[in-house]
Amino acid sequence: MNPVLSSLRARQLSGVRCRTCARLLRREKRSFATASGAGDPEGDPEIYDVVCVGGGPAGLSLLAALRSHPTTSRLRLALIETQSLTPLRTFAPQPDSYSNRCSSLTPASVGFLDGIGAWRHVRRERVMSYGGMRVWDGVSGESIGFDVDGGGGGVEGVKEEREGTEGSNGGVVAYMNENVNLTSALLRRIEELGGVDILEGEKVEDIAFGEDTPTADLTSWPVITTSSGTRLAARLLVGADGANSPVRTFAGIESRGWDYNRVGLVATLKLSGPGWGGEGKKIAYQRFLPTGPVAMLPLPGNMSTLVWSTTPALAARLKSLSPEDFCAMVNAAFRLRTPDLKFLHTIEGGQKDEVSWRETHTKFSREQVPQDVVAVQPGSIASFPLKFRHADSYISQRIALVGDAAHSVHPLAGQGLNQGQGDVEALTQNIIYNVEHGADIGTRMNLEGYGKERYWRNHVLMGVVDKLHKLYATENLGVVRVRSLGLGIVDRLEGVKGWVMRRAAGERGLF
Amino acid sequence: MSSIIPIRGTSLRNFNLLLQTAPRLVNSQFRPHTTSSNPSSVNPIEVSHFNALASTWWDPHGSSRLLHLMNPLRHDFIKRCHATQPTPVAKEGLRYLDIGCGGGIFAESAARLGSTGTVLGIDPTPEVLAVARKHARQDPGLQGKLEYRNMSIEGLPKPTSLNEQYDVLTLFEVIEHITHPADFLDACRDHVKPGGWVILSTIARTWTSWFTTKLMAEDVAGIVPKGTHDWGKYINEEELRAYFLGEQGMRSPPGWNGPQVMGVLYVPGVGWRSVTGSEKVGNYFFGIRRDE
Amino acid sequence: MSLLRSRILNSNLPRELIATCTLTPPHREPHHRQFSVLNRPPPNYEGHVPLTKTERVGMAIGSAVLAFLNPRRAETNKDLIATLGETTSQPYFITRLRDTMLLTPSGRRILRLRPRITSSTLSLPHLRSLPKNTLGHTYALWLDREGVSPDTRDAVKYIDDEECAYVMQRYRECHDFYHAITGLPVWREGEVALKGFEAVNLGLPMAGLSVAAVATLKKGERSRFWGVYGPWAVENGVGARCLIDVFWEELLERDVGEVRRELGIEMPVDLRGVRKAERERRRKGREEGERSGDGLGIN
Repeated sequence: MNPVLSSLRARQLSGVRCRTCARLLRREKRSFATASGAGDPEGDPEIYDVVCVGGGPAGLSLLAALRSHPTTSRLRLALIETQSLTPLRTFAPQPDSYSNRCSSLTPASVGFLDGIGAWRHVRRERVMSYGGMRVWDGVSGESIGFDVDGGGGGVEGVKEEREGTEGSNGGVVAYMNENVNLTSALLRRIEELGGVDILEGEKVEDIAFGEDTPTADLTSWPVITTSSGTRLAARLLVGADGANSPVRTFAGIESRGWDYNRVGLVATLKLSGPGWGGEGKKIAYQRFLPTGPVAMLPLPGNMSTLVWSTTPALAARLKSLSPEDFCAMVNAAFRLRTPDLKFLHTIEGGQKDEVSWRETHTKFSREQVPQDVVAVQPGSIASFPLKFRHADSYISQRIALVGDAAHSVHPLAGQGLNQGQGDVEALTQNIIYNVEHGADIGTRMNLEGYGKERYWRNHVLMGVVDKLHKLYATENLGVVRVRSLGLGIVDRLEGVKGWVMRRAAGERGLF
Repeated sequence: MSSIIPIRGTSLRNFNLLLQTAPRLVNSQFRPHTTSSNPSSVNPIEVSHFNALASTWWDPHGSSRLLHLMNPLRHDFIKRCHATQPTPVAKEGLRYLDIGCGGGIFAESAARLGSTGTVLGIDPTPEVLAVARKHARQDPGLQGKLEYRNMSIEGLPKPTSLNEQYDVLTLFEVIEHITHPADFLDACRDHVKPGGWVILSTIARTWTSWFTTKLMAEDVAGIVPKGTHDWGKYINEEELRAYFLGEQGMRSPPGWNGPQVMGVLYVPGVGWRSVTGSEKVGNYFFGIRRDE
Repeated sequence: MSLLRSRILNSNLPRELIATCTLTPPHREPHHRQFSVLNRPPPNYEGHVPLTKTERVGMAIGSAVLAFLNPRRAETNKDLIATLGETTSQPYFITRLRDTMLLTPSGRRILRLRPRITSSTLSLPHLRSLPKNTLGHTYALWLDREGVSPDTRDAVKYIDDEECAYVMQRYRECHDFYHAITGLPVWREGEVALKGFEAVNLGLPMAGLSVAAVATLKKGERSRFWGVYGPWAVENGVGARCLIDVFWEELLERDVGEVRRELGIEMPVDLRGVRKAERERRRKGREEGERSGDGLGIN
């Protein structure tokens, strides 16, 4: 190894250095590295403090968080992403067209994103906050109303929030946002801060432990080889690489769970109006059908996004329908009774006519369900399988998992992305604490705090969500009665409810 | 079963009394000694004991786990001490001397800090130091910032200039293993820069510490290997204070000010916590600044 | 409550989750709203009489007891059975029957077109002129043989939901088709057998309660019920498809045997024939007894 290079490296890794010098050095070294072929498998790997595999919401927000905090901004970071990030950089959407992959962001997630300076890069005109939810049992009709201000009328007192302060609750249950809007904002934030080596369009070919060379003993360090032959040694390798995480596989961490035999069918829809309460009083709707919950979540204007959890066969039928019949089916899903829905799924067409007839014989309050779906955005209907997966551990020596790599959850509570943001926030805090205390950010012992905190928090939440799915995935009259009754009882026993809530919120201990 | 005595008001009072009188049962560690055949402060029996510990030093679930868990508090305490200075501490280039560095738990962490210039860790036990050196190689970031030497404080050349002195001299869980602590601390003094700090941690000599470190930790629970601690050598905070500030007829090396103390308590399942007043009971940190 | 809510809301709890666990008073359907006799709501359809819960229970018990004590009135005057049927099928059973109809194309067509079976919608002369093996002919023949008319059905009054009221009406009007296709007569014995079949096949409590009338049968009829018609009713009630969604009007020209096979119904032993044979046997027995008595007298 070239002595100049090794001394450079040592200085780079040392905590103290002038940032501008460091950047200059790195640039120099990078060109040097290219010349000497440091990317080639024979050479020593490049040494990084954090290598993040996966450029989704979790991975990008981790990098943005680390870069934006003064304590961790000196860390040497790299991102490996299979796909090109160019579509995120050039994200220039049509005003009336929305991606079908939307997620609800809790005020806590938005607060975090705001704190790391990413939220201001989000195209705000495409984000829709909502202040109320209506959730009801599709079999018994028992309804669950919820609104942030705790007032009676569902949406009373919900503020005009779109330009309001982020993170403070301000009458907001959650923010609906296209995933691409978030990831492009995060990328913009990262590139604004600079200092992250982005390897895009490159796959992880291999992860193996490093070698004991004369300069350093990297036998406990994961060394990643990418498809272009670049090798990176990671003090901390973060798996933000999704449900089939190669990082998790390398770490030998099992991910356990089951498939729900359900798919989440998504679509971007146009409704007959902006919502019963107008643009300022948006509401999210969710109805628990025996096949799974169907949710209509508000987007700006007359647009809404649909997440319909159903069986693969029924989803296939829905996808095969004409746009008119598909819209009719969505309307039916929020209005008609189970036998009607069952029948409507068996016919190959003509749903529109059937639904309009049945609506006249079905008792529902128009203002308690979403406004009529009038159109579906072409090409926006898609589906993905629903799974329950939870990694046995979020950490290993020099490994941390975040987001879907650690857990997949049923989308009925809209928690998937928020859990990932929670992971990132906790991992960032963990790294900051370790850097401040001179601890090696990669060792298992120093990651334990992150692993424990997030595992149990997510575990409780995922358990509740899973049980809710199972509880509502039945038409058995007894179960329907008991679930309606049980919720009523729990609702009245405030102590019990408060206790359950606090557990779900991740508080520790029994009381 | 017979050992369980119901605690009544009176017995509780008696117990407290015992705790308070305990230190008096043993003479102060700073009693003057006449002959010093051994030029080193190091006790040879202690050295061989730590040899045996070397292999488990970096095992986070081994016998050094409590030390690993305590390490962040060491930094917190140093930060707290620095914060009491009238002049703010330098943001970079700080020099650390870690005496009795062992496997390097503190030395490595100090070397990783952005404000650190260099760290020198010394330890008289060669096997332990070998462990430290081997482990430091696992972090390329430590290269050039961390150095280990197999020696005692007496072996370290006396500094001839300010540049050879240290901003922070640390003695973590060391002083209770030293036979003649006063001589040892005298020797340390020369290595501290004016305005620099001596930071140490140890265990108070009380019935509680006897109960927790000797009986429970070593004999009953076996968390710590037998022979790690010699309760008779434990030093109390007021003894340290008296030594440094020259009170109570202690031999008084001049020039120290601003003593700081922080009692810490290990709560199973939670970890180490700073608890005000607990320095009288068990583990505590002590810091004192050399006059500028 | 609001204190708890605000505390929960201030926690970092996922709001969607709170929502799914927070229940507000159920959103009740208008027709389930409680009312008293003093402020009876307007009818949901022509002829509808909204009942309070107490009235409903009272009428159910009253009509059941009267029908049991006075089976003859129940037979000649269908109002008791009709009241019993309407008051016991709500809220659950009639809804379930309607839901069964919603699951099949023919059931849905019936609900949508709402056909009525009366002598004006079905031309009996035309049915009589159909070939003998047709359902229509069989139906007309049965009406003629039993001397009944499709127009003797009461209008539904006590079912609250307008569509469910139609389902009850439809059930009543189809009842004669069940008779015709099974060949069971309108006498009490045939009626009890058919009610047993309906109880199992349609799940209507009134049909089940009517089976209690077996206690009022003669000894021989009762043992025939337990030995022959009861088992037939259960077996066929379970085996046949639910008859409520059969669009009888569309099957009139079909072969009756074929229709039975499609629906999964086996003809029970002809009750008229059995009774005739029984009468014959008893008559013969009497004659033989007389003859042997004569012989004895001679000797």
